[in-house]
Amino acid sequence: MSGRCETFDHTADVGLSAHADSPEELLEVLAECMCDQVCPRKNVAPDSEREISVEAPDFEALTVDFLDAVLGAIQIDRFAVASVKVTGVTQTSASAELLGTDLDPRRHEILTEIKAVTYHELEALERGGQWTARVILDL
Amino acid sequence: MDANRWRIPKGSQPGMRVDGLIFSSAELIGDVISGGGPKQVANVAALPGIVGASMAMPDIHWGYGFPIGGVAATDVDDGGVVSPGGVGYDINCGVRMMRSNLDAGDVRPHISKLTEHLFADIPAGVGVSGPFTFSSKEMRKILACGVEHLISCGLADASDAEATESSGCLGGADADAVSPQAQKRGADQCGTLGAGNHFVEIQYVDEVYDARAAAVMGMKLGQVTVMIHSGSRGLGHQVCGDYLKSLRSAPGKYGIELPDRQLVCAPVKSSEGQQYLAAMRAAANFAWCNRQLLAVQVRKSMSQFFGARDTDARITQVYDVAHNIAKIETHTVTGRRRRLCVHRKGATRAFGPGHRELPACLRPLGQPVLIPGDMGTASYVLLGTQTAMDRTFGSACHGAGRVMSRKQAIRHAQGRRIDVELARAGITARARGRTGLAEEQPDAYKDIDAVVECVCSVGLASKVLRLIPMGVIKG
Repeated sequence: MSGRCETFDHTADVGLSAHADSPEELLEVLAECMCDQVCPRKNVAPDSEREISVEAPDFEALTVDFLDAVLGAIQIDRFAVASVKVTGVTQTSASAELLGTDLDPRRHEILTEIKAVTYHELEALERGGQWTARVILDL
Repeated sequence: MDANRWRIPKGSQPGMRVDGLIFSSAELIGDVISGGGPKQVANVAALPGIVGASMAMPDIHWGYGFPIGGVAATDVDDGGVVSPGGVGYDINCGVRMMRSNLDAGDVRPHISKLTEHLFADIPAGVGVSGPFTFSSKEMRKILACGVEHLISCGLADASDAEATESSGCLGGADADAVSPQAQKRGADQCGTLGAGNHFVEIQYVDEVYDARAAAVMGMKLGQVTVMIHSGSRGLGHQVCGDYLKSLRSAPGKYGIELPDRQLVCAPVKSSEGQQYLAAMRAAANFAWCNRQLLAVQVRKSMSQFFGARDTDARITQVYDVAHNIAKIETHTVTGRRRRLCVHRKGATRAFGPGHRELPACLRPLGQPVLIPGDMGTASYVLLGTQTAMDRTFGSACHGAGRVMSRKQAIRHAQGRRIDVELARAGITARARGRTGLAEEQPDAYKDIDAVVECVCSVGLASKVLRLIPMGVIKG
């Protein structure tokens, strides 16, 4: 995988900046980087699988909804994520398999709580064959 | 405009329907401008039905859609909109203050142990559940009735509700408007502090500015108080996210052009607007129950610590305010009474003397406005004024306001022990998360004294008390 994602500072919060060769890879690196902010994946065993799928009016909104669905798996369904595999993506829909295990605060370090994935200064697009995204997370 | 008011003229950017108005001083305005807040004040001025001005309080800093510290009122009967971005993700984040029968001199020798004791008892931090579990039927009652339901369960009494904004229950709340996901996210969080800037603080009265008002509130110099800052937890975050999504098509449907998609909105009178308001009110009721259940735990814990049976009864609520909310209120605008949807995002209601929504004992004074500062400086109790009614739809500031990002603050704390620095100042601080104290260090915030001075100079509130922290618990 050549895609990469890193965090950047934002007043009171944190942003994700990602680059990838494909939309699948873009969503995967974004989601995995976000998971690392909440519950680092290095401590999570890929014991079981969850599926998510989302639809949205455009690719930017899709990116927010996709990350929101991954966040829901962690923060609502208490599923610690080890890896994210996008199984299908268009401009307006995406599906993925999440590998991980039941979140156990005794085994998994929980670093922070993300209130939401926001639309502020949101960017998710393809430019010259490269897919890039900037997303800000409300902590 | 003058020493404490800065105008962004209508027309400064396309789509503005009214002026922007920022309350700030020469000392504070530099950070305001570099923080990006003024652009957001101008963006909010584009909301349909907005009246007066798009305003921001002196603690303004950058937010999502609206700036933190933002106040905007839209005319319900003239196409005014409601925007989830004008309330924020932490719906009814707010502050509760309680007074005790203890004096600072009695508590100071025990503050380290007392803080540890509270830290062990109060559920705080990420992923932490509370001791209260509610069936889905009970959860629906919490969402619909707020503190009223806790009174029926014996977890609150009438005096708690009376000393709470809107009596801890917003009418028009609908549990069905709150998604099952949101209800699940909040199911075990009612009575938990959360993380980030939320806290429980043991404080004492350091200065009394208005002896008459302090006496009515049962407060005096040196008295120990407890302040709780928390909100609607994951339930509120999910409600906001759900409605930002479901309202996405509303601007197109109603012909609304917006400069920022985080400002997505719908006319108050539309089905979409009504649905959001019903869900937001339910989340607000949940938040009031959350702070009530935190108060129950604080009372019990302090009672156990001091071993006095009657301490519990003597930790009495002074007031509880929301600072992230939208409410339908009637205000006089250019001589005419109008029904407005007042958005306060990081702003506190500050109703002046005589307002019928205030409890009888406080009505002659005006509404208590609770302003938490950073954990190393001070907090304030202010009173709302008629000037606030006239100028800001009865609103004032909500806190100090951040000047550093969390990561900046962590970098700024490298090589330092924030807990040791605070201890040198006589403050015991404990945080669950490993970066909590660094993120929330005093340097990360504006000068609370300067923010309060600005608000009071403009006449939006008047000072009653200054409170100094002794023990701090963070998530």
